[in-house]
This record gives sequence, structure tokens and C-alpha cells, in this order.
Amino acid sequence: MIQTYNISKSYRSGRGKVQALYDVSISIPGGTTLAIVGKSGSGKTTLLNCIGGLELPDRGSVNCFGVEINTLSRKELSYFQRRNMGFVFQFGNLLSYLTVFENISFPLVLNNMEKEKRVAELLDKVGLPEIISAMPYELSGGETQRIAFARAIAHSPKMLLADEPTANLDTETGEKLIKYMFNVCKEEGCAIIIATHDQSLIKLADRTLTLLDGKVTGE
Amino acid sequence: MYFWIKTATLFLVRSRSSTVVLTMMVISAVATLIFLSSLAIGINDAMIRNSVGLFSGHISAFKIPDDITKKQLLIEGVSGVLKRIPTAGFLHYRDKLEMVRLIAVEPAEEKRFTAIWKKAFKGRYLEPGKKEIFLSRLIAERLSVEPGDILNFRSATDSASVELTVAGIYKTGIDQFDRGVSFCTMSAVPVKSSPWNAAIFLDDGVDKELVVGKYRNVKLNNISFKTWSALMPDLQQLIDLNYISMFIVIVHVFIVVSSGIAGAFSIFILKNIREYGIMKAMGITPMETAYLIFSEVILINLVASSMGIVAGAAAVFIFENIGIDLSAYTSHNQYFIVSGIIFPRLTVFSLCLPPASALLFSIPAAIWPTALVIKRNAADILRSI
Repeated sequence: MIQTYNISKSYRSGRGKVQALYDVSISIPGGTTLAIVGKSGSGKTTLLNCIGGLELPDRGSVNCFGVEINTLSRKELSYFQRRNMGFVFQFGNLLSYLTVFENISFPLVLNNMEKEKRVAELLDKVGLPEIISAMPYELSGGETQRIAFARAIAHSPKMLLADEPTANLDTETGEKLIKYMFNVCKEEGCAIIIATHDQSLIKLADRTLTLLDGKVTGE
Repeated sequence: MYFWIKTATLFLVRSRSSTVVLTMMVISAVATLIFLSSLAIGINDAMIRNSVGLFSGHISAFKIPDDITKKQLLIEGVSGVLKRIPTAGFLHYRDKLEMVRLIAVEPAEEKRFTAIWKKAFKGRYLEPGKKEIFLSRLIAERLSVEPGDILNFRSATDSASVELTVAGIYKTGIDQFDRGVSFCTMSAVPVKSSPWNAAIFLDDGVDKELVVGKYRNVKLNNISFKTWSALMPDLQQLIDLNYISMFIVIVHVFIVVSSGIAGAFSIFILKNIREYGIMKAMGITPMETAYLIFSEVILINLVASSMGIVAGAAAVFIFENIGIDLSAYTSHNQYFIVSGIIFPRLTVFSLCLPPASALLFSIPAAIWPTALVIKRNAADILRSI
């Protein structure tokens, strides 16, 4: 179970103080898929980051699988993230100096897990077994996102957080990727929280959460 | 640990252009600093070599009893011992008289170890077995003699006198030689039983004080030994001054170059901050972040410094053999009286300090970006790029 209790988060920017999240409380049972929707600037990415521990809320708390992650030390948070979470970013964010194999095996090494078999298996699952030695700059947008997804689930995390994973892909490739993600996660028993403004993806999720100006306006 | 070193290596190898630029920077800095330090040591060597090589040797021994032979002074670390018998007296030519210190020498040995024979201004140096004299220009002018003229020398202590043919006239530019010293062959020495003096030449790198200590241990206590630094305190001071000024210059160069290296390292790490942000999101710990960044810094330093050491040492090796001719700038300098050629010399200090300094400055340079990566949360890092 993933729960947030009244989390608020604000930023200072050139335009002054921006309230990104305001008293957001949500509850996501393990193994379910949640789509966070909303316009650009509604706080989707910030909510995803707070849940994943990529940033800490100013107020409130985040409980993931029984652990209050905002109370963990940096080291404890790192260990928690490497074991339980996987991230897919908007631009893939593959490590540019590492090959596809090295990228996917990175979380496996962090978790002392077997690499070769698992990487081959994941590349098969995402339909790209032939690019194991390619460098990230050699991949197309769709390939990059599929490899980023393979890397995110390589260590069989309990939760996958995906921030606009289809934003830079054409509709067809995007839909394909999302279907891959949902199918593979179902196989692996992994919960998915996906931030998107792509209405076509919403129907694939078990639940949908709508954000507007940092507040939950619909579920 | 091995994983982070391997990842750091991959980062460096695949960063290509930035790694090459940074490596070149460290190589050139380390090589330049090694060469500069070696040059400073070479200049001091040249001053010592010129000063001791003209006549005095590294150690001068005075009032050596007749029963002690040259062989007894030839101990480990000593490359040559030159026997000299000084006699004070008067040179007489026609109606002119000059007081001189006549030093009887072995010409062949002198030519092997000293350079005074190269300072012949007119005529030539002494030849073994001949009753000849080698005069300074000042005395020759006062007596109005030329090579080939025959002079009469009379000792100040007894009435013994000897006729000597002027073989040559020299000029060193050093007052203590040019004013009142003349040389003659051993066969021409008027007083044969007097105590003798010695100029002792040492092998390269042998400590002069150590050799003097050894002489004392073999019961040569009655002999007065003076090292070149005691005989020429001005030279010792000049060398000390040269070391201090070169040290100040080199420290400043080190600081400037090392700060450049430190800045370049900071930029190099910050250039890759996105990668660290992604890894952070995947759960690398602060300690692992530090391992990775410091592995990169240390690896690049090790590789570049090793290449810099090779390049610097190669440059020193080349010039150590061919020398750097500064004669045009040293011709009026008494400390470069024999030769104005500088031979840079490597020492442990000149070889180790530059790479150590590059490493010393680049490690603190890595602390700030490392702290930045550790302190900032992954979302901030990824948002800022």
C-alpha cells in the first residue's frame, strides 16, 4: 500500500513562490495501476517525485509499503529506492556513457542480482533483443523509453513510477509502450503510478487521479 | 568497489573529448612542472660544477704531510685527487718584480679534472716534465712577459730559485686567481719537501660532508679539509637563494596550474551531473556517489600523471644529454666560468611533487561537486538540466 497524508510542496522560482501540491492525500493498494492526470503545471511530476522519494514534501508524509520515506536518512532512502522502486522518466534518462546492457544491469548490480539472464529476458520482453550492446545515442525515442522501462523493472520493484513516458513518442509507439508496461508489470506483480496528460492512456489504468493546481479534484 | 571503479572507467573512456582535454591538461602541467623543477636543480648543479671544476674540487685538503700519498685519499665516492704544492715567492723578469703564489701541479691530471687550462688567454697550458709557468694576465702585464719568455722565481722562505719558461697566460675573471696565482709543473717546483694540498673531486651525487667524515675516521685528523661550501660561502648562499626563489616561483606555478586542474575537474564532474542524478533516482547511496566521482578523479589523475611523468622525464632526459646552452647569458658570470650549459637533473622531489600536487588539488576540487550531488535531491538535479 502506498499512502500520502496531506502532502504539500512549494518551490521558489523566478515568478515567486509556486505551490505545486496542496494537502494531497491518496491511497494506492499494491499491484494496482494509477494514472495521475492533469494539465501541465498541475503538480503531477511533483506528486510522483514525492511518492518516489526523489524530493521531500514540505509538509505531510509519504508511506510506501509501511515505511515513512520522508523520515529516512539519505542512505536508508537510497536503499529503499533501489529495492522497491523503478522510475521511467519523460526523456528516458538512460545513462549516456553506458550501453543498453550496462543500463539495464545497473539496478541489478545495486541489488546484487544476477545480470546476464535477466537483461536478456527483459530485452526479449520489450522486443529489443538485438540492441544489447548499443549506446543510448544510437536508439530511437521509442527504443530509449522501452530500455528505460526495462531498466526500471529489472530488479522487480514493488512500484513503478512513470512520468509522462509517452510525451515524446508518436501515438502508436506510445500506446504500444504503455501496453508493454502494463502487461509486464502485471506479470511481475508491480504497481504502476503513471503521470500523464494523454487521455488515451487513462482507460488502461485501474484508477485515475485528477490534479488541478496542486489539489486532487477527482478520482 | 570494483563496480564503481569499472563504471568510473567507462565514464572516462566514453566521455572521450572531455577526458582527452582534461588528460592533456594534467599531462602538460605535470610534465612542465617536472621539467621546471629539474631545470632549477640543473642550474644549481651547473654553478657548483663550474665553481668546483675550475680549480678547487669539491673538497680542498691543506697541509698534507709528505708521508700521506694521493692513494690514501682515494676512498669510496672520490673520483680524483689532485696533488698541489703551493710556494709563496717572487717572479723576476728583467727589472720587474712581482709577488706570487706559485702552485706546482700535475698538468695531465689537472687537465682531466679541472678547467683552468681552458682559460689560456695566450700560449698554452703546462706540459708534463717541462719547467714551465702558467701566469695570470694581470701578472703577465705587470712583468711585461709573453709566452716563451724566461722568468726567475725565488721562494720567499729560502733562497732557492728556478728559471721557468712562460707556457701561457690565463684569465678566469675571478679575482682570487687573476690577481696573484701562477702555476708550474711538479718538476719545476723549487721546494719539494713541503706539505702538499689536494683538490678532491667526488662522484656525482656523493655527499661531500660524508666523505670528509670518512677521512676523519681513517685518522687523517691533522689535515684541514674544507668543502666547497666552506671555501665559497657566496656560492652556497647563491645556491640557497636560487633554491628559495625557484621554490617560490614553482609553488606559484603549482598553485596556478593546480587551480586550473581543480577547476577543470569541477567542471568535468558537473558536466555529468545528470548521470549522477539518474543514478541517485535509482538508489545509489551518498558513499557510492563519492566512490564513483573520486574514482573518476583518481583514475584520470593516475593515468594523466603517469603520462606526464613519462613526458617530463623524457624531456629532462633529452636535455640532460644535450644540455641547454645559456652561454650568451652567462659569459660574464663567475659561477658559469667554465660552461654556460645547463643540464636539467631529475630528483625524487622534482619527479614526485608535480603529480602529487595535481592529485592533491583535484581531490578537494571533487569534494564540492560531490557534496552538491549528494546534497541535492534527484528531482532537483534532473529538473535543472
